[in-house]
Amino acid sequence: MRPGLLRVSLLLLLAAGAVWADVASDQAGAILVFPKILVDTSNLAGRGRLDTLIRVSNTSNQPISMRCFYADATPVCSTGQGSCLWPNLDCTGTCGVPQCQELDFVVNITARQPVAWLASQGGKSCSQSPPDVPCFPLTPDWAFAPNGQTNTGSLIPPVGQDPFIGEMKCIAVDRNDVPVERNDLKGEVEIVRVDVPGGGPEVDVESYNAIGIPAISGTNNGDNTLRVGGNLCSGGPNAQKVCAGAADCPGGTCVSAGEYAGCPNVLILDHFFHGASDPVLANQGQNGVPVTTVLTLIPCSEDFLNQALHTTTVQFLVFNEFEQRLSTSRSLTCFDERPIWSIINTRDEDRSIFSAAVSGTLTGQTRILGVPDKDTGHGHGLLGVAEEFRAGGGAAAFNLHFGGSRPQGDLIYLP
Amino acid sequence: MGSSKGAIRSGILLLALVAFSLPAPADITTERSSSILIFPKVIATASSPSAPANIDTIIQISNTSNSMAFAHCYYVNAAPLDPSSPPSASNPPLCQEVDFDIYLTKQQPTHWVVSSGRRVDTSDKTCGCTSTGCFKDCFDAGLDPGGIPPVSDFFVGELRCIEVDSSGAPINGNHLKGEATIVTADGDASKYNAVGVMGLNTNTNSNNGDDILCLGGASSGSCPTGAEYNACPATLILNHFAMGASDPVLDELLGSSSSVDTDLTLVPCTQDFQNQIPGRGVIQFLLINEFEEVFSTSTTISCWATFPLSRVNSVFSTGILGTRFVQTRMTPVPTGDGVQSGFVGVAEEYHFPPGSNSGSRAAANLHGEGQNQSGDLITIMGSF
Repeated sequence: MRPGLLRVSLLLLLAAGAVWADVASDQAGAILVFPKILVDTSNLAGRGRLDTLIRVSNTSNQPISMRCFYADATPVCSTGQGSCLWPNLDCTGTCGVPQCQELDFVVNITARQPVAWLASQGGKSCSQSPPDVPCFPLTPDWAFAPNGQTNTGSLIPPVGQDPFIGEMKCIAVDRNDVPVERNDLKGEVEIVRVDVPGGGPEVDVESYNAIGIPAISGTNNGDNTLRVGGNLCSGGPNAQKVCAGAADCPGGTCVSAGEYAGCPNVLILDHFFHGASDPVLANQGQNGVPVTTVLTLIPCSEDFLNQALHTTTVQFLVFNEFEQRLSTSRSLTCFDERPIWSIINTRDEDRSIFSAAVSGTLTGQTRILGVPDKDTGHGHGLLGVAEEFRAGGGAAAFNLHFGGSRPQGDLIYLP
Repeated sequence: MGSSKGAIRSGILLLALVAFSLPAPADITTERSSSILIFPKVIATASSPSAPANIDTIIQISNTSNSMAFAHCYYVNAAPLDPSSPPSASNPPLCQEVDFDIYLTKQQPTHWVVSSGRRVDTSDKTCGCTSTGCFKDCFDAGLDPGGIPPVSDFFVGELRCIEVDSSGAPINGNHLKGEATIVTADGDASKYNAVGVMGLNTNTNSNNGDDILCLGGASSGSCPTGAEYNACPATLILNHFAMGASDPVLDELLGSSSSVDTDLTLVPCTQDFQNQIPGRGVIQFLLINEFEEVFSTSTTISCWATFPLSRVNSVFSTGILGTRFVQTRMTPVPTGDGVQSGFVGVAEEYHFPPGSNSGSRAAANLHGEGQNQSGDLITIMGSF
């Protein structure tokens, strides 16, 4: 190869790298994050009987494999009596910290194929599945794809318990389970309830998009430590230390260290303050129908190898419609799901800064920050999803907004 | 040694070519603050053949910056000319715009219900508790973002807000985010994030501030300085149920067969509010079922359209597709006059329990891929 051609190649590579995408729930990615998976087919938690349908599709015309990890964050009541899941928080003892035990599996998806499974039942070949349960149709004992590609080797276990609450991360890999730079996965979740309490509808459905983390072209070393964003000093006395810019690296340079785009610096949630009346229903003569917002947060960093749990301090800045600002914080380990009023440790909903009674207005904007520390073994980026519940009505899930990027990257350790 | 150098060089070239062949990420966003917000589906209706009864929409917009933000917003009423009949070629969308201004202080959130709008009224009572109880019906309390008109008594269409400076000139501030919540009288709700189009070169504000907003594309007579905003996507991607397929969760929990329908709402990125010329285009649908079998169909959209997938073609039905789940890729193609408008949209699924026509709705933002290379223009009304 002539040097000129080499230069052209490098320029092409740099130009391609210059179009890195951000973490997004509306674009395909190399890592899919499903912040909330819920199963409760017996209604122990009091939301109604429910299950989660997970859908993933390959947006490319080449087959792809993904390695997925459920993290079981179901809290356990110390006495075994009562529930630690919202809204039936009637545990007679104390609720343990979620352990986020991982359970992993591999799914092989053919070109542009959509696949789906129920969290409660998992997924297997259609030849082995009960009728009408989502399954993998392209296996030698069932059917062949037009080009001979198959789902062979795909087997998804059911979640470990019922009720179950937790998250799932899926990583694009090759057939040898080595992470690959392919931004070809997209996904959605539907949480479907029946027997909705409080005179609610017969059935209720809410959905959100999985969050896609794109790979950065030309950076993945194929090992089992996934670097999600972040910058490090290259050279100088601060080599390998986190940097926000050149000023942090005297005698060296501040370079991107990520194999994947970084998690956002700030999550932004627009929400109804807790207990605020729904204005549409009030217009229609149904006064005083309160809205409850439930927030689920998970860390971007995850150590599936050692099952080591890290705690992050989460800061909340809350703005009401008068531009008045309040703030609070609490710690997050592994997984956290709660109605926003209970972010404050109070038994009285109306004393929470997330309550309409305190904020004074119907809606607010809350900015959520995982506070970084000096431990470089893991990051403090956060991801999440929100849900709105209307008393006696349905629920609606929606993705959070993102702001900025973080100098400190996140790490995902795979077994 | 020489061969290993050759292998390295060949590897770099291959890597470069592979990197360039990867699909480019779409530029629109549903989770980053932007300079243009598009709410593709806004409904306020008592009852009509083309919309179920008693539906209203809550709009939420926030300023995510620490400075004042201003926006010029357009409701586009796309109700059929004869709202008592379903939309058709002979009953096209009205496509009439009504515009208004909003202004938000630093980090201020605001909201309104589209059927009632929001009046500037400093006497709105705030929520709070006293010794006699708590008051939580504090509708419109807060700093009013400006006078927001109610929509007409039967409204289906879109809302588009464009960030401007205090003089009303468009700017690349990227300070706005938004959500829409569609609420029915039975308390069911579906919620989606507004589609954001980010302004380019925010630091230098490459926006020339005129009345033609250039979304992607190259320099042209209308866009002498080139693109001012990111481009609309080249392809929209929707994962969905085949029409009439059953919901496996409802089947599992209720023990008999349910059904799911999907409504798709699409709006052209190009809109000429000054001359009231609606954007339009042809959409090609490419459907891939779970057997990796491929089907295709197409439709033409002018101004705005919301429709069940079955209205496009029966190919969306489970009877033809043969599987429950489908990936549909939607790509705009040039019309006869060479115009190729990008599109954005939102989907809503309706899940019906066995034997019932009263279901639950859930909205979902569409995925995007690539950029509409020909660019889109939004022409707004200047002052006169």
